[in-house]
Order: sequence, then C-alpha cells, then structure tokens
Amino acid sequence: MRRQPTSNERLRRLLMLVPTVSQNQGIHLDALSTALGCTRDEVLEDLDLLQMVGRPPFQPGEYVELAVEDDRVYVELDQRLEKPPRLTAAEATALSAAARLVFPAASDVLGTALAKLEKALGAAARPQAEALGRVLDAGQAAPPDAGRVEQAVRERRELRFDYYSPAHGSVRRRTVQPLELLSLRGQWYLAARCLEANDERLFRLDRATAVELGERTFAPEPSRRSTLPPSPWGRGEVRVRFSCAVAGWAAEQLGQAGVTVLPDGTAEVQLDVDSEAWLVGWVLSFGGEAELLSPDSVRRNIARAALASLE
Amino acid sequence: MMERTQRILSLVTMLLDARRPVPFTEIRESFPSEYEGTVEAAERKFERDKVELLELGVPLHFVKTEDGEGYELDRSAYYLPDLGLTREETAVLLTAGAAALDSGAFPLASDLRHALRKVDYLAPGAQPGAAVRFHPDAGAAGGAAREALPALWAALAARKTVTFEYQSPHRPGVETRKVDPWGLAFRRGTWTLVGRCHLRGALRTFLVGRIRAVQANAQRPRTPDYVIPSDFRLDDHVAHHPWGHRFHEPLEVTVELRGPLAPLWERTLPGARQLEAGEGRVRVALGVTYLDGLCRHLLSLAPHARVAGPADAAARYRDLALAAAARHGEGRA
Repeated sequence: MRRQPTSNERLRRLLMLVPTVSQNQGIHLDALSTALGCTRDEVLEDLDLLQMVGRPPFQPGEYVELAVEDDRVYVELDQRLEKPPRLTAAEATALSAAARLVFPAASDVLGTALAKLEKALGAAARPQAEALGRVLDAGQAAPPDAGRVEQAVRERRELRFDYYSPAHGSVRRRTVQPLELLSLRGQWYLAARCLEANDERLFRLDRATAVELGERTFAPEPSRRSTLPPSPWGRGEVRVRFSCAVAGWAAEQLGQAGVTVLPDGTAEVQLDVDSEAWLVGWVLSFGGEAELLSPDSVRRNIARAALASLE
Repeated sequence: MMERTQRILSLVTMLLDARRPVPFTEIRESFPSEYEGTVEAAERKFERDKVELLELGVPLHFVKTEDGEGYELDRSAYYLPDLGLTREETAVLLTAGAAALDSGAFPLASDLRHALRKVDYLAPGAQPGAAVRFHPDAGAAGGAAREALPALWAALAARKTVTFEYQSPHRPGVETRKVDPWGLAFRRGTWTLVGRCHLRGALRTFLVGRIRAVQANAQRPRTPDYVIPSDFRLDDHVAHHPWGHRFHEPLEVTVELRGPLAPLWERTLPGARQLEAGEGRVRVALGVTYLDGLCRHLLSLAPHARVAGPADAAARYRDLALAAAARHGEGRA
C-alpha cells in the first residue's frame, strides 16, 4: 500500500532544507543530501523548486533565494523558512516508540527526554500523539537491572554481577567492560569484555543478579560492533523432528534452514547448534512435540532433564 | 500553474509573513491560477491544502480579530522550539532512532527519520550515545514484517480497513482477511497486529510476519472507516510472556525454581510473587492465562523448574515432561 498522499515526504524535506542550509551556510551538496536523507539529484531538484517558492505578489525579493557555488549551497533569502516546523504528532510518536523499543524503560534519561518531547508538542498535536501512542505499543519488558546496565554502557563504567551460565550450570561473579546493549529476538543481552576471561562475551540480562556499577571507566573502542550470537538456523549435524501439531510452525520459523515436511505430516530439520544447554532447553520447550534425532548423547540428557524436573 | 508542492510552500511563506488574518478571498486572489473555477471548487481545493499544512505541523487557524477575519499562522507555534534536551537525552534519542531504523522493522520509519533530523537540527553534531542495537525476530517471517509494518501503520493511523493475505502455520494455504487495525504491539521480538476481523466478527491478533500484500481501503482516504473504542488497551490482547496469552480464565499457579535459577526467580518469571524460600529452592505464585505456555517455558529451564500446584496444573506439567522424556527414550510414552 502507498502511504497516504497527504503525508508528503517531499514537502517535509523541503521545509528542512532551508533551515539546514541556514544553519550551515556553504554546506556541500553531498553533506546536504546526507543530512536530508536523499540523493544529490533530489537535492538539486528541490533547490530548483524552492527558487520558485515565494509570497504574493511574487515580486523580485519575495522568492526564496538559494545559490550553489562550487557544489556549496548558500541561502540568501529564506522568506521566514529559516527554522524547521515543530515536531508533528506522528514524529513525536515515532521518536517515543523508538526510544521505548530500544531502551529499557528503567532509564531515567529516557524518561526525562520523552517528557520534554511531550511538553514541546503543540496544543493540537498533543492529543493526536496520545491517541497514536495508545495504538502503538513498543514497550519491551526488560529485566530490573537493565537501566543500570544501560547507564554503564553510556558512561563506559565497569560493571560487576553474578551470572548464571546454563552451559556451566553455575553462578559466577563477573567484572566486565560493557560495550553494547542488544535487544535480540526478544531478549536483552549485554555485549561486554569479560575481565576474567579477557575476551568479549554476550550476557543475557535476565541471568545477571547483584548488578553493581563500578567507578572505573574505560576507553571506548571506535565504531565497534559486537559479534551477534550465531543463529542456529543453519544446516548442521543436529537433527530434530517435529510432530504434526508443530510442523507448520517449524516450517514458518526455520524456513531458512530448510525444513523437510514428511508424508505423514511431521517435519524434520537439520540445525547448526554449538550449545548443548540451549538445545536441550529448546527441544524441551515443545513439551514432547519435538524430538531430537541426533546426537544421541544429547537425547539422553533431554530425557533426564525432563524427568529430573519432576523430582 | 504551480506545482502543488510549490503552492503549499508559498502558502506557508505568505502566512508566515502576514501581519493580520488573511481571508480566503485574498488567498484566492494571490493564487488566481491555483484556486480558479467556482468558489466551491476553490474552497474544496484549499480545504485539501489546509489538511496537508496541518499534517506538516503548520498551526493554521481561522480567527476573527479586530483586524478582520481569516487564516492566521501562529509563528510562535510554527517554529521548532528548543526542546531543552541535555546532551545525554539527545544521545539517547539519536541512538534509539538509529537503532530502530537500523533494525529495518519499525512501523513509523519515515516519521522517525524526519523527527531525527529535527533533533539533529537542535543539537548539530550530536552523536548517538550508548551503543544499543535492536534485532527483532530473525525467523523466516522477519522479512515479511518489514514489508507489512509501514502499510499497516499508515492504515491504522488513518483508521482505514485493510485486506491482506495471512498464512497461519496451523492451517494450510493462504487466507485473505479483511481487518480494521486497532493497534500494533511489539512483544518478545515480534510485531503483532490487533484488529477487528470482518470474517470472525471479533477482535483477533495477527503476527505481522505472517501478513502479506496489505491493501488499505483507498475510498475517501481522509475519512476513518471505523472507530477504536476509548477503553481499548493493547495489553489486554497481546501478552508480554508465554503464560499471558488469554486462552483460559486466570489461574494462580505455584512454580518451584531450584538451584541456580532460585535467586533469578524475579527475572525468570516477571510478575511472580514469592511464597516461600528454602535451601536452594524458591516457590512463587504466578497469574497465568495460558498454562501450556508456562509449562513449556518451565520445561525449557529443566531440571531447575516445575509447576508445583494446583494439582491439575502440576499434572499438566508432569504430562508434558513425561511426553518429552518418552520421545527421547525414557519413562512412559
């Protein structure tokens, strides 16, 4: 479906163009197109159009005047378009939803930023934004310490916590340099340099307790990105069969790995999994509707874990 | 004849410059070739332009003052004010916005881009702060969600009925559904649409990743097709946790967590209330409206969790655990 024709993307861009140039007289065409999120050719077309914008009776001096010299853009007459219009209800809703989606709700900074956004909305836009916010809920649940962890990432401060690792079946105290907060497939993770292991690790926030913000700070690593945990949905040695009841779900979710639907309605898939603890929990989460066919050693552990939980 | 864009922008500059309310007759005289034809036709065209201006955030009002009556653009309400954001707050918003756009699955991507430009205008050169990344469900259906989200949001914001193709894994083939979108919610990595399904005549939830080929009702695009009741709450329809889907009457279940999971009970089972704690184990009470969802979640934590009561719920957990064990060669089938 096309966007509603009333939401005119170009008009909104044009209303930002004059303010952007006014703020940066002599801005290079390439920088201007980057700032406006469009191509250089689109900027040139916009500049041409703006030269024909003015106020009646459209005498010389009553048009917007822009000049381009050596690929640098200058505004000479702005016709009062020197500043952008205020945030619309939809724009404020978008910012607020993005903030709630990405940041754990516990962050104080987020709360104050959103309050200021709301305050700055015009009288007409405020109820509209409220109505839009009611039908868009991006508020992800986050563990109670998520705000403190976010603060540690932001302030580049060391963090200490007790961490439960299912792979080791134990809880250990960790001291880390927090690098990046990740919301991955519905779970919150912290990518951090573990000082004990002297290596980068990924920690699930809901497995960390007794979280303490340290005083020591550390130097940032420029424009770094943590390695995401590998998706298990790749062809590997692990074979799982799904009953008819969940075969359709498996085909939908694991499509990339190539699910084979068998004549009896069951489905089989081969996966590439390097964590036995994860595999045991995942197969069990189907409550008997999934069966690990291989490896054999893990089959036994799945059965044992299920029975041991009943003791 | 001007381009429509040129006319709208010229109207803005005219009204920003006006020192008194501008009557429509004067606007019409100022743009004779734009508002030509009958008065009625010209008024209808100007009405459409007014809607466009209001959507751009231009505070245009019809006023009656001592200086006369007409349209007035309140300059103090037009310009983007300083939001008073601290450097940290700006960084939070820029980071969140960049991460949401980067994810590729954000319903208001276009509005977000415009909003970020305005934040950037107020704090030129500001950089995103803490490193945060957002990756929604990377399952096979993730790509479809990216396609459908903007269209569903546009329809929802304008209250327009949509038709789409829906492929449920529980049924063969693709169904065409006609739905009044009531809300979009993001839960556990997945976007969900809540809407009134015309086929079922009731509210239904749809995973956005299963939605294809969204078509909004193109008739009278500015007239809403339906009304969302004021008491509608997304939370009543989209669960935050697997045990929160509303499949049966609320039930209070006692869960036992053991060993390393005992101290993590608040994080493992958000919303639970502690009943008792012993050596290496804790019992909590949890409100549940989908017992099987809870049982499967606890099975994924085996052997450190189980349902301890009431008896029916514990029996259900036991059945599922035994079924899983039997599948893997242990216990009874």
